[in-house]
Amino acid sequence: MTPDIVITGAGVVSAIGCGKTDTLAALRAGRSGIAPIRYLDTPLKEYPVGEVPLSDAEIAALTGAPVQWPRTTLLAIPALQEALAQAGLRDGQDMMLISGTTVGGMDRTEKSFPQYSRDHSCGSSTDLAALFIGGFDDATTLSTACSSAANAVIFGANLLRSGRYKRVVVGGSESLSSYHLHGFHSLMILDREPCRPFDATRAGLNLGEGAAFLVLETADSAAERGAKPLARLSGFGNACDAFHQTASSADGEGAFLAMSKALQMAGLLPSDIDYVNAHGTGTPNNDASESAALRRIFGADLPPVSSTKAFTGHTTSASGSIEAVFCLLALQHGFLPPQLHFSTPDPSCIVPCHSGLSATPRHILSNAFGFGGNDTSLIFSVYE
Amino acid sequence: MDQLITELKLKVIDALNLEGMTPEDMDDNAPLFGDEGLGLDSIDVLELIVLLEKNYGIRLKTPAEGKEVFKSIAVMADYVAANRTK
Amino acid sequence: MKHVTIPSGASLPELYRQWAGDYPKFFKMDTLSKLGFLLTEMLVAGEEGRFTPREDRAVLVFSREGCLANDRHYAASMADFPSPALFVYTLPNIVTGEIAIRNKYAGETSAFLMDGLNQSLLWDTVRQSFQDPVTQSAIVAWINCPSDTEWEAQAWLIERNDLM
Repeated sequence: MTPDIVITGAGVVSAIGCGKTDTLAALRAGRSGIAPIRYLDTPLKEYPVGEVPLSDAEIAALTGAPVQWPRTTLLAIPALQEALAQAGLRDGQDMMLISGTTVGGMDRTEKSFPQYSRDHSCGSSTDLAALFIGGFDDATTLSTACSSAANAVIFGANLLRSGRYKRVVVGGSESLSSYHLHGFHSLMILDREPCRPFDATRAGLNLGEGAAFLVLETADSAAERGAKPLARLSGFGNACDAFHQTASSADGEGAFLAMSKALQMAGLLPSDIDYVNAHGTGTPNNDASESAALRRIFGADLPPVSSTKAFTGHTTSASGSIEAVFCLLALQHGFLPPQLHFSTPDPSCIVPCHSGLSATPRHILSNAFGFGGNDTSLIFSVYE
Repeated sequence: MDQLITELKLKVIDALNLEGMTPEDMDDNAPLFGDEGLGLDSIDVLELIVLLEKNYGIRLKTPAEGKEVFKSIAVMADYVAANRTK
Repeated sequence: MKHVTIPSGASLPELYRQWAGDYPKFFKMDTLSKLGFLLTEMLVAGEEGRFTPREDRAVLVFSREGCLANDRHYAASMADFPSPALFVYTLPNIVTGEIAIRNKYAGETSAFLMDGLNQSLLWDTVRQSFQDPVTQSAIVAWINCPSDTEWEAQAWLIERNDLM
């Protein structure tokens, strides 16, 4: 028997705000957080980014965490605290923490490389956050590139389905680093302008940073302790594109399979989906590939689609959970995040919803596609 | 020019990890990309772009430019001879 | 359930020639990916319908250091020209992508980091993965390569029945 899985708490930090209140205001106002680099120490200053507009010291001061800790950890802590507080939980007791990251503590290591790299596993940034919050049974780190946080949601859901846990905390955290900024630069997929997902003039992505966590629990567990669910996790799917290490296939096979699996698990038809939060990085390749997959799923009846990476930049390993929180806000407050920076349709791409819409979405599909062809789709539905 | 061609072949073999290949194995005019050629892919284009900048001071702006310049070793050699700043 | 290992420091080009020999992209991979690729070749060589695309096989890689050995090479290249070919391998899950591309596996792929080989956590995680009814078998690997010349590398091909 598969238990219903609900979300009882959510927390987020990104370029558009610290916490859900600021985030909601920015989403509704169409206010992007993409701007020139302010804090990251790097020679590549020509690239705009979705930087959390706080220094390490300022982020640390929000929670009292040690300022020497990696920025990835410093960003995770307020997001974790917000999620736990909303769920009415004091700490991590009786729960496991599953967090996705790639950068981990690299922002610190690159300042002293190579002296600390020997022992600096990226799992340590998760363990520090778990330690600060306290009480967790266990913590683990998933690292599947840009689908990490979304896969953390799946892993957490599987822990609930198997009866291993009644409640888990899932999500991801990623800070900017010169290391991966240089890397994306070497792949020539960064845009020197703010990104334009699905637009004919799109020229690449902007990197971003942030953290978001969800408290997932079985519906029974929530009812037992009187916690109010925000939404249901009604379906999910992970599949491999099996095409190339960093590019996506022309027909979006991996994306198509992931979305199909999620719909099947949720027992929904494509026509039941009211909004798609696309992966939509703004690269010529992803947006065309994802569009092909969306067209294969939805045919001529495409629901409103937008990529909120025009608000936050591509937050890589944290994007799956940050964008999940945006979807939860959309479900709760009855609106659809608009596509920013869109002006010219591209025949090889879908046309995103580019004016602010009020709506009452009931089912939202969220995509997160990672290097290695690791494609994940999540479906969130209203709780009633 | 012969010297540049051999030099390019050695650098390409090294940069792209073309195991067991020697300059003698590489036809000057054979296409580098596509199934008939060495079957190089999009990441290889980017590595060749780095090769050009590192060794010859030539800066290509987009991968699309790269695909034109890297049609074959001979085309590459002509381009390098005409545009090198190092 | 099949189990294979590659001894630390073994000659990977030799193992490649022995077990594959038809996939020159092997030489572009980092050590982590080469080990994952070879372990899989050893597990599925001669399997019926070997290269038929399938969704029912998951690929799960566990590691402590992930792709750290390659990360160092990439970091060194950042000093003058960051290498895109090295950057591609600075993710601990690319090995799962390489296995999927070679063997046409469109099922679940995942990469986990653990402080050491914790068998209980590893098999618990594999069990979680089989919650997906589509998954009928899995390539499970523990690959830890702190450098290009020494590692722990072992892998299992596990069927759903093996977990019962």
